[in-house]
Amino acid sequence: MKDVLIVFRKELREILRDRRTLTAIALAALATPIVLFVISQVSARTATQVYTVGYKGEIPAGLDILFNATGLRLDLVDDPAAAAKRDVDLGLVFTSGGVEEYYDPTRQSAQIADIRLQTILGQYDAARIAASLQAKGVDPSILHPLPVTVHPLSSPSRAAGNGFLSFFLPYILITMSLTGGLSAALDTSAGERERKTLESLLLTPAPRSQLLVGKTLAVSVISLAAALAAIGSMLIALTQVQFGGSQEAFHVNLSPLAAGVMVWLAILLAGAFASLTIALGTLARNFRQGQAYATPLYFITIFPASIVLFIPDFNPNLTYYLIPILNAVLVLRDAIVHDTVAWGALAVTSLSLLVTGVLCFYAALRLFTREALLVRS
Amino acid sequence: MTEAAVIVDRLEKTLGKNKVLRGISFEARSGEIFGLLGPNGAGKTTTLRIVCTLLAPEAGAVEVLGFDTVREPQEVRRRVGVVTAEIGIYPRLSARENIAYFAELSGVLDGELDRRVNTVIERLDMDSFAGQRAESLSSGQKQKVAIARAIVHDPPVLMFDEPTSNLDVLASREIREFMVESKGRGKCVIFSTHVLHDAERLCDRVTIIHQGLVVAGGATAEVRGNHVDLEDSFLSLVGAGT
Repeated sequence: MKDVLIVFRKELREILRDRRTLTAIALAALATPIVLFVISQVSARTATQVYTVGYKGEIPAGLDILFNATGLRLDLVDDPAAAAKRDVDLGLVFTSGGVEEYYDPTRQSAQIADIRLQTILGQYDAARIAASLQAKGVDPSILHPLPVTVHPLSSPSRAAGNGFLSFFLPYILITMSLTGGLSAALDTSAGERERKTLESLLLTPAPRSQLLVGKTLAVSVISLAAALAAIGSMLIALTQVQFGGSQEAFHVNLSPLAAGVMVWLAILLAGAFASLTIALGTLARNFRQGQAYATPLYFITIFPASIVLFIPDFNPNLTYYLIPILNAVLVLRDAIVHDTVAWGALAVTSLSLLVTGVLCFYAALRLFTREALLVRS
Repeated sequence: MTEAAVIVDRLEKTLGKNKVLRGISFEARSGEIFGLLGPNGAGKTTTLRIVCTLLAPEAGAVEVLGFDTVREPQEVRRRVGVVTAEIGIYPRLSARENIAYFAELSGVLDGELDRRVNTVIERLDMDSFAGQRAESLSSGQKQKVAIARAIVHDPPVLMFDEPTSNLDVLASREIREFMVESKGRGKCVIFSTHVLHDAERLCDRVTIIHQGLVVAGGATAEVRGNHVDLEDSFLSLVGAGT
């Protein structure tokens, strides 16, 4: 085991002197808060954004107050249908028989303005009906024969925050676990061949398996550090950044349980990715070829994280937790959204990632001990 | 006669579809410079790689100080130091750190480490650049680092594979002087080169290989025979002489 420690120390020293790796980690740690700040600004702006409604005709009494209160500005236009195509977000024609609405569903601003309009029209209708009933001496509560009192078990803002984290955090964790150590992994494998240091290294009496363990551990540590740096900076930024408009603003927090699960998964992912990228690097003749081999990994790893975005209610059976990376995304999502851990799923996930790491290490070792490694170079 | 330090016996090796070695045999002794000679592609590097356990022989056997390269590769590696033409060193480590890394991996004990590293740095006159990062060193200085890491564990067998092919005149001379000095310290020095002129000046005994076969072997003077020099002798042996 002494050789493992010698190689680990040397690799770590070299990595920490490599500007490429340090720059990648620093950029990740800095980029995450910046991205979050931009997202929070966009979300706040969307919540307080005023949309324009081009109208024609007589506005029913009191309705204009609701428009203003909901961030819909009323502009008088000659042709609301034509204006709704480009000049305004919605076009409305008020007639004695009702309201004609014109909007272009392909424009996001029109969609949001439409939702706001439907909300205030609903409120207006209800108020008018209630007033009419009251004028006739009828209790307006007759309209609600089965009144519902809602008791949310968690705050809606917390749910919104968890929903945001459940996508963003696994995405950061997986991409940083992969990319944070990628340069170091290729440098210690393909780079060793390219620099012509491999032959000298293999000439030492140290067993090749121990050389490889030392390298894998060093790359794992860097991957883990990169992932934790990015997530740490993200969590710090989340305490400062506010999402939503002023009325429904919320902060996003990570529970201690989810944080623990995340660190455990980060360790497993870092080990698996380190073994995998070193195996790919050992297959390559030089750093550049190693990068070419590793490029498809970006797409393969980002895909599972996207599932949570596109299918938020994806609740698979335990078999799905055997699929590496996807399982980490699902476990982390559950820990963040529900603040709970399905221990069976976590056990299957841990086993799956461990086996993946061991298989990748075995592949790397096979590649590292074959004669072609020297002959081809 | 000194006992053989390295015994190569009927070595055969195929790389890809090429039969690179077709039954190479020779012996190299302690306290001598042994020349492994031949043109490029003759099989010299493959032979040395088998001797130092990087490649496995297809047939035949190699013993280094009584240790079989296939059965006891780690024992062999402990006793061998190799210097090649391709000077690969870790650019982000200093010269001293490069040497210390290989010393540690070669089994030099912690208490001995600094002394051993300092000894080779002094011996190769590297004090002025030992603390510099390897990426900033000249080719000659890098070659010294490569030599230092090969000898830091004080191996009894030293192998030089075309060590001067990328070096200028001064650096090449230092390498040659180092080989002579090592011979004086009782080391078995195996010098692989296609520059027969160099070999003739340095080697006590030589083996000339061509197309994977030994075409001549013995004391340098014997192999040269009545020819003007080793090169002339070699051309005559392979049927390309005038």
